[in-house]
Amino acid sequence: MIHTQDAPLLKKVKMTARNVNVFYGDKQAINDVSIDVDMEHVTALIGPSGCGKSTFLRTLNRMNDTVASARVEGEITLDGENIYSSSMDVVQLRARVGMVFQKPNPFPKSIYENVAYGPRIHGLANSKADMDVIVEKSLRRAGLWEEVKDRLHDSGTALSGGQQQRLCIGRAIAVEPEVILMDEPCSALDPIATAKIEELIHELRGNYAIVIVTHNMQQAARVSQRTAFFHLGTLVEHGVTSDIFTNPREERTKDYITGRYG
Amino acid sequence: MTIHAAPPVRLTPTDWRSSKMTSRIARRYAAERRFRLLGLGAVALATGFLAFLLIHMMSNGISGLNWTFLSQSDATDPAQVGIWGAFKGSLLTMVVTLVLSFPVGVLAALYLEEYAPRNRWTDLIEVSINNLAAVPSIIFGLLGLAIFLNTFHLPRSAPLVGGLTLALMTMPVIVIAGRNAIKAVPPSIRDAALGVGASPVQVVFHHVLPLALPGILTGTIIGMARALGETAPLLMIGMRAFIATPPGGVTDPATVLPVQIFLWSDEVSQGFVEKTSAAIIVLLAFLLAMNGLAIYLRNKFEKRW
Repeated sequence: MIHTQDAPLLKKVKMTARNVNVFYGDKQAINDVSIDVDMEHVTALIGPSGCGKSTFLRTLNRMNDTVASARVEGEITLDGENIYSSSMDVVQLRARVGMVFQKPNPFPKSIYENVAYGPRIHGLANSKADMDVIVEKSLRRAGLWEEVKDRLHDSGTALSGGQQQRLCIGRAIAVEPEVILMDEPCSALDPIATAKIEELIHELRGNYAIVIVTHNMQQAARVSQRTAFFHLGTLVEHGVTSDIFTNPREERTKDYITGRYG
Repeated sequence: MTIHAAPPVRLTPTDWRSSKMTSRIARRYAAERRFRLLGLGAVALATGFLAFLLIHMMSNGISGLNWTFLSQSDATDPAQVGIWGAFKGSLLTMVVTLVLSFPVGVLAALYLEEYAPRNRWTDLIEVSINNLAAVPSIIFGLLGLAIFLNTFHLPRSAPLVGGLTLALMTMPVIVIAGRNAIKAVPPSIRDAALGVGASPVQVVFHHVLPLALPGILTGTIIGMARALGETAPLLMIGMRAFIATPPGGVTDPATVLPVQIFLWSDEVSQGFVEKTSAAIIVLLAFLLAMNGLAIYLRNKFEKRW
């Protein structure tokens, strides 16, 4: 496929969701959601609290499996392969679809070990030298290398909140995922740390499909090319970010982005 | 939207110097002082008893602590008796107990916390384990007698059987302590490991277990210290025989420190009073060493996040 600057509509679909329903026990949290996630694009999921955007995000790498009462219906594919089929290896799926969580959650180990953990369990490095290269490359791409290169063996939990979150991004990209899911990655961070993460998302976009859940509509407008608006478990509207923000088709979307509720 | 104007209220500043207020403040300070004294009293009471026990035992038994006493086994003449046989018996029994109860207890705790579904059966198991931890030790002794001696015909009076019996007793303590320690590991760490593609077993052995280990070890050593002081179940399985040679292995007849203390305290000969106290000093030293090890291990493995 030829990809040029003047062909922005040439889509490379990475993940698709078709008629996805999610239940927690009897309660339906997601109602008939269908959406595509494209390579080299950032897809923002927005909506008021409890609208199901985080739940939907967690269906994309089957993190909902850890919740005993959760049940997922419908079809979600990664490169055309149904991730909920019995032949899908969940461990491999999560290596291909990485995740960054709301609260920075580095392991209580050294900075180096935090990044090296994923590649180690997947056998991505053949030697210590290989691992050093992976760690440096990942931390550079996470924009953290210059700040921590002299203290790689200090604890990851001793870093500031923003640095911890970039460490978590570095940890996620160290296993070379194809998709990165971010669940409100900046909600625990101050504005300067948030700006750094947003800048990082811009830089990473070219190599991954990124899906980000955010409460912050300005952030969605700044970082994403696609936006999906969720309300009460349904996908109200999705499309090109600039369209959603300047020319929403649905009344509910308009009310939300103009701050009428949420 | 109309904003309702609040009715005008005249705010009078609080008079902190009024007699009502000053007496209130005085009462608050008095409550602080009372609580402090009460706490200090509780600590003094606890350490006072320990100090009394130590001083009493030291004054009675220190003269009985000599090389003969530390290197010999039981004898009929109080001048010739020693604690080494019982000490070695205790050591062997503890080794058997630890080797059995620690892995089984930790694996059971891990399974219950990380793998078992939450349903009526696991609730029942939880209640049973909590009950088991509270069952009087004499009943474990009877169980050991019935199963290990009468059914499996294991050697009577042996540290192997004593260790097996005490392992049954210690295991529920380890399971309970282990489950609490595992529960205290933040779920965000599990999410993080799963998120980079760790399998459930890798999550448990790379992250959950190392983080829970200090708590598990503390619980284990508390359980072991309790087992070390246990007398009743060991009487039931015959570890009260007169044994004049230290055990060579876990199947040789042996006795243990608390049983030896019990036996000597029953002797009529005057010389055994001193030896009983000396044996208590040895037992307390053993306990102190175990608890010291518990604190050392906890501090060594503890991680902060």
